Amino acid sequence: MDWKRTREPADAWHMTDDLHVEHGKGDPFAAAIRATRMSMVITDPRRPDNPIVFANDAFLRLTGYERHEVLGKNCRFLQGPKTDKVAVAQIRTAIEDNADVSVDILNYRKDGSTFWNALYISPVSNDKGEVQFFFASQLDVSDRKRSEHRITADKDRFEKAVKERTAELEAALEAQTTLLHEVDHRVKNNLQMISSLTIMQRRTIKDEATRHSLATMLERIEALSTVHRRLYQSKDVSRFDVSDFAKDLVTDLLTASGRSGIKPKLELDPIVISAEKATPVALMVNELVTNALKHAFKEGPDGTTAGRIGIKMSQPDGHFKIEVSDDGVGMAEANGDASFGMRLIKSLARQLHADIEWRDAGPGTKVVISMPNEPQQKRTLS
Amino acid sequence: MTEPLKVLIVEDEALLAMELESLVEEAGHSVVGWATSSAEARSMIESTDADIAFVDIHLTDGPTGVDVAHYIGEKKRSMVVFMTANPKRIPDHFAGAIGVIAKPYTMNGLTSALRYLQEGVRRPPPVSARPAGFTLSPAFEAVWAPAA
Repeated sequence: MDWKRTREPADAWHMTDDLHVEHGKGDPFAAAIRATRMSMVITDPRRPDNPIVFANDAFLRLTGYERHEVLGKNCRFLQGPKTDKVAVAQIRTAIEDNADVSVDILNYRKDGSTFWNALYISPVSNDKGEVQFFFASQLDVSDRKRSEHRITADKDRFEKAVKERTAELEAALEAQTTLLHEVDHRVKNNLQMISSLTIMQRRTIKDEATRHSLATMLERIEALSTVHRRLYQSKDVSRFDVSDFAKDLVTDLLTASGRSGIKPKLELDPIVISAEKATPVALMVNELVTNALKHAFKEGPDGTTAGRIGIKMSQPDGHFKIEVSDDGVGMAEANGDASFGMRLIKSLARQLHADIEWRDAGPGTKVVISMPNEPQQKRTLS
Repeated sequence: MTEPLKVLIVEDEALLAMELESLVEEAGHSVVGWATSSAEARSMIESTDADIAFVDIHLTDGPTGVDVAHYIGEKKRSMVVFMTANPKRIPDHFAGAIGVIAKPYTMNGLTSALRYLQEGVRRPPPVSARPAGFTLSPAFEAVWAPAA
């Protein structure tokens, strides 16, 4: 191919259908353009209304027109009622400015059906820079457009569904939280009323044994109250921090006893148990500590009581271990009464599958409780 | 001996108010009034000279205890301690209150809280240990129990 021919590309376009230039038949560029599957047209802006002067077979197949129907016409016959006016304006401006343009536009075939046309137009200039032709290629991108639309529609539908579902779940959670707070509030208020009734009843009673009974009952109710006060302070209501509870309980029982000579010794690992174990564990610890307070210590000659109550909570190898110890008078004297308290402890131990053992600690008594505790994640409980 | 406290009880449950009154009096303090609604509480804070008001969050006219605490706080004559089974409803700033006694409290817990409050109100800061079940507001925490 000689240099001169490629310098004169405008000559190649003389072999159009319209011009019927015979010598172009052998031109490989023209042959390629005629035969390509890519739809192509050439328009002549020097003629009135920039008509089509060449259209290849692919263009005719795409649009459904015959060659004689399109030659000499402006390309706007491809537009229809649903064609985007903005896209049309974009093309018009590019042609006025002799500039390239690439735009997706909805076009109409001869039979009225539509297709999405990825249109590319570029001006072809001569040596002097004058625009001789416009070259336009059309690519049917209806499939791509359809999937784009489907994806957008799917995305919108999906987002809407997610939004609705989220709103439903939030509402359900809100309702559940409100209900939980309401129930929690009632449980706490009722526990407060039960202790208040017990205290009031006790005030009216003269008999010492009955008063004592009611006091013991109040301690048990208050142990339950302390569980409930602690239970819903954490964010996770299914877990119970038993060491915080033990601290509250022992402090409370010791101050209530008014015996400032008895000092607590607390060795409490942070241990979390499931909420359903909270009540039996609390009642059991309450029984053991009140037992020790009542029976383990004898008054000294000066009328005061001195001693030490220890609570140790640890978690060796998947077991939750509680040790309640005192340095008092020892088992022989401590085990005499409190038979209901003892039955309570043993029944609760059975419920918890706990082993319980009384040991002579010389001096004093040590009660060791050991129960299986499923591994609990150490959570930060607020 | 530290001067006893004059207490206003703002509580909608008669039973709890009754028992609270007994416990307050057994501890040597006096109860100057019992209000069951926010309106009653407002008028009683005007007509009595309470040192301290125990305010429940839920009153007969709804969850108005926090408003009552605000009102009492603006008058600057009495101090407020919330007494509620629902401490989560208390705003972070505690509406100016000293703190909260969480229900259900124990008899000893309340008695200890009364002693602690008596010391705090009469001769701040209190010297007793803070009782279990009693939580100070952040503002009072800073003054009554500054971190060592």
